[in-house]
Amino acid sequence: MSRPDPFSARLAAVRAFVAAALIGVAAVFVAAPARAATPAETFVQTNVDKGMQILNDHGVSTAQRNTQFRAFLLTLTDLKRIALYTLGPARRGATPAEQDAFVEAFKDFAFAVYGTEFAKYSGQTLKVTGSIQRSDGDYVVTTVLVDPNAPKNQEPIEVDFRVIGTEGKFFVTDITVAGLDLAITEQDQFSSYLAQHDNDIKTLTTDLHQHAEHIRSTGQLQ
Amino acid sequence: MRGLSGLFVLACGLALAGCASSEEPPAQASVAEAANDPFEPMNRKIFDMNEGFDKVVLLPVAQVYVDVVPEPARDSVHNFLENLNLPITFANDLLQGEMTRAGQTLGRFTVNTTVGVGGLFDIASDWGIPDHQEDFGLTLGKWGVGEGPYLVVPFFGPDPPRDVTGQVVDIFLDPTTYVHIDHHIYWSAAREVAEAIDLRSRNIDNIESIERSSVDYYASLRSLYRQLRNNDIRDGKPDVADLPNF
Repeated sequence: MSRPDPFSARLAAVRAFVAAALIGVAAVFVAAPARAATPAETFVQTNVDKGMQILNDHGVSTAQRNTQFRAFLLTLTDLKRIALYTLGPARRGATPAEQDAFVEAFKDFAFAVYGTEFAKYSGQTLKVTGSIQRSDGDYVVTTVLVDPNAPKNQEPIEVDFRVIGTEGKFFVTDITVAGLDLAITEQDQFSSYLAQHDNDIKTLTTDLHQHAEHIRSTGQLQ
Repeated sequence: MRGLSGLFVLACGLALAGCASSEEPPAQASVAEAANDPFEPMNRKIFDMNEGFDKVVLLPVAQVYVDVVPEPARDSVHNFLENLNLPITFANDLLQGEMTRAGQTLGRFTVNTTVGVGGLFDIASDWGIPDHQEDFGLTLGKWGVGEGPYLVVPFFGPDPPRDVTGQVVDIFLDPTTYVHIDHHIYWSAAREVAEAIDLRSRNIDNIESIERSSVDYYASLRSLYRQLRNNDIRDGKPDVADLPNF
């Protein structure tokens, strides 16, 4: 899927990243998959249905919808586990209080970044195509994102959900879109950020909150 | 042109990198090493310059292009540029032993060049012939060649040695290299500029979104570039064995 020059490849990466950062998360909220053969697949399908209900509920204000969406995400994902993973090796040197503060900042950042983008993807559908069990309680549910407005030569975007747990206690811990892994991307950027800031987790925590606040207040880049 | 400029930058980078990296604090150096980015200080400076160029030149031009040129015309420009690259994809399909994909590429090129009026219209997609792109950097990856240390090239972005090498080879795989055109360099430059404007114009919102979602934009793009290239080397097949250990 890359162009035969680096600049094109960079832009293709950007395009795919947006799928990961925006479509990937938004995919939780869009239309229902066609099949659900395993408990993990059923979990994904059920929550896709729930997300779609929230997204298409125009009887509430946008703010209310965002609040519902946030609550929904909190029940669907294990954000603490994701956040601590993204800290990478720096986690080992962090106190429990620093880790807790970082987890809260990560949630704040994630919701601010993705919160304004969901509506853009409400017309798309998500179809479960299967699942792979990696080990006990560790699954990859594979899906395809169907965008009726996509260019005719665009290949279907594959969205894979990493689902951990047992039936009745599943959580989404990661999303991979077109081969791009959200958790890995965040860990890479946070590790690099910490290296640029004397490995100070408090600085990263503060910056995540500030970044989130800036996005909420202006909708603009910092 | 692209490949040669990349090699020049690579040579400069290798010469400069020792000084730059030797001044890194240990923690930063270890992270750079883990990220296979030994020239990170230099790369970040080039990245900042590229971002400046994008904000001042490329993005405004792309925005005007979107505002002034109707979408069907922009689509035709895009189709034409895509079609020009298909011979490179075809050659790399063959080098990878992907005969089915090579056939698809040949079919797309034949249909779009003829029925599609020189590639201006993507008839092949209407006829159900799937699209994909390959380059020699990906071919090297499929042959097991590592990407080498991460590099950022002025105006062209991420470009590790494997991809630099690939671009040089792709020049020789591109039939237009052998077509006699007066002032060939102007044709090459115009094609580069058109590709840059085309791609930037199709990604204005996307790039803004990724920048907005990053606290370290440079590191995000580095990570994404690598993941994308690795995904392309796998032809989009999921890599479920190498996933994060939560």
